[in-house]
Amino acid sequence: MDAFYASVEQRDNPALRGRPVAVGGDPETRGVVAAASYEARTFGVRSAISMAKAVRLCPSLVIVRPDISKYKAVSRQVFELFRSVTPLVEPLSLDEAYLDVTENAWDEPLGTSVAKRLKDAIRAATGLTASAGVAPNKFLAKIASGWKKPDGLTVIAPERVESFLQQLPVDALWGVGPVTAGKLRDKGIERLVDVRTADPALLHDTVGSLAGWLRQLARGIDDRPVIAEHEPKSSGSENTYAQDLLEIDHIRREIAAMAQDAAEWLASRELFARTVTIKVRYHDFTTITRSHTEAPTRNGANIVARAMALVSRTAAGCQPVRLLGVSVHNLTRTLADEQPRDEGPQLGLPFET
Amino acid sequence: MELVVRKNEFLRELQLFQGIVERKNTIPILANVLIEAKDSEVRMLATDLEVALRSRCDASVAKGGSLTLPAKKLYEIIKALPETDVRIDEDKNGVRVAADRFDSRIQTLPREDFPTLPEATGASRVVLPRDAVREMIAKTQFAITGEDTRYFLNGALFVLRSDSMSLVATDGHRLALVSVARGADAAAKDGEEAKAILPKKTLLELGKLLAESDGDIYYERGENHLFFEVGGRMLISRMIDGQFPAYERVIPKGNDKEIEFERERLTNAVKRVALLSNERSRAVKFEIDKGRVEVTSSSSEFGEAREQIPVEYNGGAMAISFNAQYVLDFLNVVGTDIVALSLKDEVSQAVMKPVGAAGYDYTYVIMPMRI
Repeated sequence: MDAFYASVEQRDNPALRGRPVAVGGDPETRGVVAAASYEARTFGVRSAISMAKAVRLCPSLVIVRPDISKYKAVSRQVFELFRSVTPLVEPLSLDEAYLDVTENAWDEPLGTSVAKRLKDAIRAATGLTASAGVAPNKFLAKIASGWKKPDGLTVIAPERVESFLQQLPVDALWGVGPVTAGKLRDKGIERLVDVRTADPALLHDTVGSLAGWLRQLARGIDDRPVIAEHEPKSSGSENTYAQDLLEIDHIRREIAAMAQDAAEWLASRELFARTVTIKVRYHDFTTITRSHTEAPTRNGANIVARAMALVSRTAAGCQPVRLLGVSVHNLTRTLADEQPRDEGPQLGLPFET
Repeated sequence: MELVVRKNEFLRELQLFQGIVERKNTIPILANVLIEAKDSEVRMLATDLEVALRSRCDASVAKGGSLTLPAKKLYEIIKALPETDVRIDEDKNGVRVAADRFDSRIQTLPREDFPTLPEATGASRVVLPRDAVREMIAKTQFAITGEDTRYFLNGALFVLRSDSMSLVATDGHRLALVSVARGADAAAKDGEEAKAILPKKTLLELGKLLAESDGDIYYERGENHLFFEVGGRMLISRMIDGQFPAYERVIPKGNDKEIEFERERLTNAVKRVALLSNERSRAVKFEIDKGRVEVTSSSSEFGEAREQIPVEYNGGAMAISFNAQYVLDFLNVVGTDIVALSLKDEVSQAVMKPVGAAGYDYTYVIMPMRI
């Protein structure tokens, strides 16, 4: 996705369109830029620089506080589109993923066509633009995706791989930062293809264990498969409070909200959880967790009630609390209890649930 | 603070606190007992935030005050002392516990750290007969689930009506319900039911307290807490949040096959036969036919066993399996010499009841195991 957080903010607030926007923290309090709009980038504002510096570079910069839950919602939309095309989706972040489209739901023979259709679908669904790279392997696709932005589509067909490689500087590679690139340049290695002819011992002295990997990439070889995202094992959130919480009712409200979030996450992933865990850190940093396991559920009221009962098993309300968390574990795809509590044949009382 | 207390009296109270204080010790102050000296008595208080106990004993107080001491250590020390006067005093160097020629200095924790507990108001106080409550606890407690599976099952439901009271516990596989009639009570309005889920630990500690105390129980239900006062001691318990399952609906009405057993005979048969049951399931099978019930078991690892019990039964033949422990749990506490087992079929709830019980109604519902 192009300038993802900033684009979402510009989409949702017309007043921000066409203006230099940075999403991130407060320049007064060591905030950093999480994302910069393309307008801001022309001033040299980019992610990971301090917001204070960003404001110096671009005095007209509009600073927007991040709303991660909103970005996550958009991300879910985009990933749903990805997964409707192929199950082989390997996320790199909220807004970036590798897709293996060798087989795809549209039966498109060309990766390029898949990329075009996906870009259109993303724009239709979210109003946002994405840039894609189409190539025979992950390493080339990643570089290609950044070749033209925003709204770019770069294709490296197999027969064009060699000419593409010829023009790549060594620091185009992932894992080769400015320091390593500097070292390689000192040894006369400017372009990626120079790695091919470099003395293996010299290369090893310069980049260590990266040498073998670099030599492969220099020949355009990358056999890493696209690995679909691992099934999540748990999900949860926690919050450290600026001021310790004292009131049990307040603590309960916080826990209830986090439990509700966990339930919504389960629903969005079409999962059920058997275990609900809460975490409480007291003012003296003593941290405890309390868990409760029963039949799988993603019912918000049920998860909230279970989290509430766990609160009763802590000193929350008696001791000041600085951090609270709620998480769900033991996730299952179905409501059927895959790991029954019962020892096999024992029948349960027919309580209505 | 400075006080002198009789060892035996003090020890008897401290012993009651041993089950109350937090064992996991995540919050250090909860391992301590709060000791307050005033007038001519010493008051003690300990809690794990779920259950609290307040108690007292006579003392000669030279200087009033309050402090906290580790409940377990204090108990061990007092227990080890000869039968004499114990002196506890605090100076700027710490807390001294001394008796006879023994002298000790014990680490204390700030009194201010001790949690504040709710107080009974006395407003809605009702009187409960001690022995009846004790029996109700003994006959249901074992059916509370030990793990946190369904949290509301981590306690027993106490139902107080104007003319009766009930305690019911279930772990989802079996259910124990005891109801006792009580004299008409002006405080409870006609037909009104007051329900509360009591944590397992509360029942355990209340059971111990009732065994140690005399007189009736003064019971009060606060907003989030329950208060049980008996013999000058007060047990305070949190209520468990949540909806207790509709237990009345799983008590079957139409069990048409009924068999009476001598309790002791059945207990012994089940105990013996269970020795060769499957170690995991602990299943014993009741093979029922005219005039006899054969209790059988088999274990792929060890072999098999059977024991025949002659009974009066004229119905059709059937077989039903139970977890032996569930059956024994009931037989261990039931109290009457004869017990009745009523059944419908091999997959529906079975009911066990005492025969000839006086003053209480005891129902034990037990789910069979698949054969």
